[in-house]
Amino acid sequence: MSDTPDHISPQKFMAELMRYRKGSVSRRHFLGVTGLGMATTVLGSAMPGLITRPAFAAGSIGDSVVLATWPNYHDPASFEAFTAATGAAVQVNVFGSNEEMLAKLQAGGSGWDVFVPTNYTITTYVEEGIIDPLDMSKLPNYDAASFDPRFAGPGTVDGKLYAASKNWGTTGMAVNTSQTNGRVLTSWKDFWDITKAEFSGRTTVHDYQLTTIGNALKSFGYSFNSIDPAELADAEKLLIEVKPHLFAITSDYQPPMRSGDAWLAMCWTGDGKQLNKDIPEISYILGKEGGEIWSDFYAIPKSAPHLDAAYALINFLLDPAINYKEAMFHGQPVADARVDAMMSAEIMADPIIHPAAELLSNLEFGAAATLTDPNRAEVMARFKSA
Amino acid sequence: MHSTAYPQAPASDQNPIAEFRAASKHYGEVVAADAISLSIMPGEFLSFLGPSGCGKTTALRMLAGFEAPTSGEMLLDGVRVNDLPPHKRPVNMVFQHYALFPHMNVADNISYGLRQQRPKPAAAFVAQKVAETLERVRLPGFDTRRIWEMSGGQQQRVALARALINQPKILLLDEPMAALDRKLRREMQIELQSLQRALGITFVLVTHDQEEALSMSDRICIMRAGRIVQIGAPRDLYDAPNSRYVADFVGKSNFFEGTLSSVSGLMGAVDLPTGPGRGRLGQDVAVGRKVSLSVRPEQIYLSPTGGAFAVQVRNRIFLGEHTEYLVNNPSLGDFLVLVSRQTEATLGAFDPGQDAFADWTPEAALILNND
Amino acid sequence: MRPKLINRLLLAPAGIWFLAMLVLPLAVVLVFSFGERGQSGGYVPAFTFAQYLNLPARWKAFENTLTLAPVGTLIVLLIAYPLAYFLALRANPKWRTLLLILVIVPFWTSILIRSYAWIFILGGRGIPALLDMLGLHNLRLINTPFAVLVGIVYGYLPLMVFPIFVSLERLDKRLLEASADLGSPPWRSFLQITLPLSLPGMATGCMLVFILLMGEFLIPAMLGGGKVFFVGNALVDLFLQSRNWAFGSAVAVALVVVMLVTVTIYMRAMTRWGNGRDDVSLM
Repeated sequence: MSDTPDHISPQKFMAELMRYRKGSVSRRHFLGVTGLGMATTVLGSAMPGLITRPAFAAGSIGDSVVLATWPNYHDPASFEAFTAATGAAVQVNVFGSNEEMLAKLQAGGSGWDVFVPTNYTITTYVEEGIIDPLDMSKLPNYDAASFDPRFAGPGTVDGKLYAASKNWGTTGMAVNTSQTNGRVLTSWKDFWDITKAEFSGRTTVHDYQLTTIGNALKSFGYSFNSIDPAELADAEKLLIEVKPHLFAITSDYQPPMRSGDAWLAMCWTGDGKQLNKDIPEISYILGKEGGEIWSDFYAIPKSAPHLDAAYALINFLLDPAINYKEAMFHGQPVADARVDAMMSAEIMADPIIHPAAELLSNLEFGAAATLTDPNRAEVMARFKSA
Repeated sequence: MHSTAYPQAPASDQNPIAEFRAASKHYGEVVAADAISLSIMPGEFLSFLGPSGCGKTTALRMLAGFEAPTSGEMLLDGVRVNDLPPHKRPVNMVFQHYALFPHMNVADNISYGLRQQRPKPAAAFVAQKVAETLERVRLPGFDTRRIWEMSGGQQQRVALARALINQPKILLLDEPMAALDRKLRREMQIELQSLQRALGITFVLVTHDQEEALSMSDRICIMRAGRIVQIGAPRDLYDAPNSRYVADFVGKSNFFEGTLSSVSGLMGAVDLPTGPGRGRLGQDVAVGRKVSLSVRPEQIYLSPTGGAFAVQVRNRIFLGEHTEYLVNNPSLGDFLVLVSRQTEATLGAFDPGQDAFADWTPEAALILNND
Repeated sequence: MRPKLINRLLLAPAGIWFLAMLVLPLAVVLVFSFGERGQSGGYVPAFTFAQYLNLPARWKAFENTLTLAPVGTLIVLLIAYPLAYFLALRANPKWRTLLLILVIVPFWTSILIRSYAWIFILGGRGIPALLDMLGLHNLRLINTPFAVLVGIVYGYLPLMVFPIFVSLERLDKRLLEASADLGSPPWRSFLQITLPLSLPGMATGCMLVFILLMGEFLIPAMLGGGKVFFVGNALVDLFLQSRNWAFGSAVAVALVVVMLVTVTIYMRAMTRWGNGRDDVSLM
């Protein structure tokens, strides 16, 4: 992970601002975007003169490829290398939520060649006819056998591979241990209990129904994906009870955790790693009842204007050596055993990146039905407006 | 007739209602009023007359309390009021362009002054006073009218009514008729005059219109560059201006320049290009100084047959009762002559281009310094 | 014939803009509001009143908004008026333009950036840290209603200051002299003359701020920590998270209706108050 945020172009910054104003950035946040190195790639592609292209490759797959992805999720050097190798400049569109990606693709005319959906959206994309199965002959670097089926599995629908595994991660809690008086949080029940007591006014939860409701459900021992009305009622009661004790309902929890305003946050792996790296007393914990595990994929929309370049880019990024460098850059675990093999023992033992197997086994993937369930949306609305 | 003692107001046994004692007003480097000394007597109609920037408005604003003198004293009824704010002074003003309250109807505008009194007067009393005042300014039944529904003349009456309702000791009028057409202005002037007589309130008018000042005032205070140049009854100012500036400003006058050659008693002689011209001494003058012989156009005779100055008629303007001629004498240059209809009836009219003779009596000419 | 054609040509861009930017989207929203939510979100054509019948589910959001908008408008007015008064009637004319520019300067940057600045100012390392050094401990400012208020006042102040400034600056100062001349002390002149005559500016400012506050979602989300939920926030969630376009459209239509009703009542009241005065224009 890079400590030094690269500069972002003014245009891109403004674009991010506009998106944030629309409220579309929710999951991985605006600040992450503005502090990251993605923009060098954008700038590079916007000014072709900056990048020297090998004459031999120019034009064979076209001169550009458009990638829609998450903030802080790629090493700009990878794109430079790809452009040097193929002559195609990578244009990156950074997105804030799966819902927004889906909306854009449903509306048509996105112009994307490659995008990065999360596990629970892939069946929806297939059902909506937005993506086609991948042509494996064009992805020689994808070695199905070396991918952990637990993480790579959701990419396969009806026996056909629609999406290639990129990274995976978890949703846990970040806690500032200097404030706990030695108490160790181990469960989601602890999370809600301490919020109602000693940590009153110091906890943040996601502005995202999937995880906020899911982790409330988990504290009762229910499924993360439950859409059972009685169970949802329990979760709602808990959330409304907790609400006066919350610092914030936000997916932008790094700033208050860093400033010391918040002591406990519902947190995704990447943010947990970043916080822990800079502030060692902030630790990242998975609830022992379970919680969410997620994985991201590369997929190609039917409407991709540069199909050859799309395959070339995915194949390039799945090259274990490149994938390793990517993982070193953004700090998210990879499902590819070939990449794990390159990692140091220290990284493989990092409990944030590679949690203990017994903790992992309790985690659940978010389901498409969970995300789109109207009742959960209403529970969230009632919680937020309470 | 070179006295500099200002003539006093009508009833000199009374104490002045307002007094400026060497009152000056400075705005940074600019001197708007320069040591003004003046007593205003109860019941008189006094006008400040002068061109814009002469200090007349500043004097009025010191009276109203909008400006405090930088130095000197301002007295009302014998009491020093330099620092008394306007709302505590027993004077009211009719503003230029009236400054009526646009969000209030006529009755509310007029009753505004009454409604500021503490304790508050009874509503019935206010209503009665409003009705009376509207009657007085000949606007009965206009109470619920909106300001913008009224003509300029009507607005003027409302402004007058508003300023009169508190029965001020002095009514201040700041160019009140500047926005009215000529005919309406004449009517208003007469109305104001009769109102003043009926009410017996002291009126202080600021104007740049000499005709207005001459026709309405008991006394006129002529100002220039922040100073009072001359104070007097209109006729005195007209007949005996103490400077070329006053002679020029009050009425029309012809000025013939030359050197004062001799003085005998109240008369003197000026060396004009055409020879010596005799006249009354209008102010302190010294032999050998450059002076002007000031002659009013109506004091000059025009004759087809004989006179001291041979002239040629250049232009003729018919003014109704009078005819104004512009004539030229090769040595004296152009000057104006006013001939009455009566005279024309006996002598006949003069045509442009016609040769004639002009003349005046020494008593009609006034010797004034060139300044 | 000819001038008519020219008039039409001149009006065309505005007309097309009006049609494309206002009428069309509103029509789409209206159509959507009678539809149904698709299986995976979005919109499925239908004709049902179900979305409107479901509106009570967002009652709380409407309640919050209808409390915040008037209260926020009033507070902005109370703070903006003295500022506008100072700028128009008290400030040295030499500095007036500069001071006016200073009022707008914050508008040169995005409200988002400014809100982030406030997050840091009101956050634990900002003002509370300073107060802590002065002995006032554990003061929480960020993510409180107070912080939302600060954000609203800060963000909307210029919208209120300018119309009031204009009406105060246009105020004929001789009216105040006339009032004083007629025996009114300064404070009563203010109440009887200045205040009523600056009412058009206040009415315009209140209208602008009120309408924009009705749709506000960013400031409560950022400075209120997302714990305060307004119709604007409900819309963001419905369109961008649960992707329930049909219900979202119904909520949007309801917001427009509520706004129209409120604004109509407001204008009626102002007109009655003004009693046909031509110096009281509403917008």
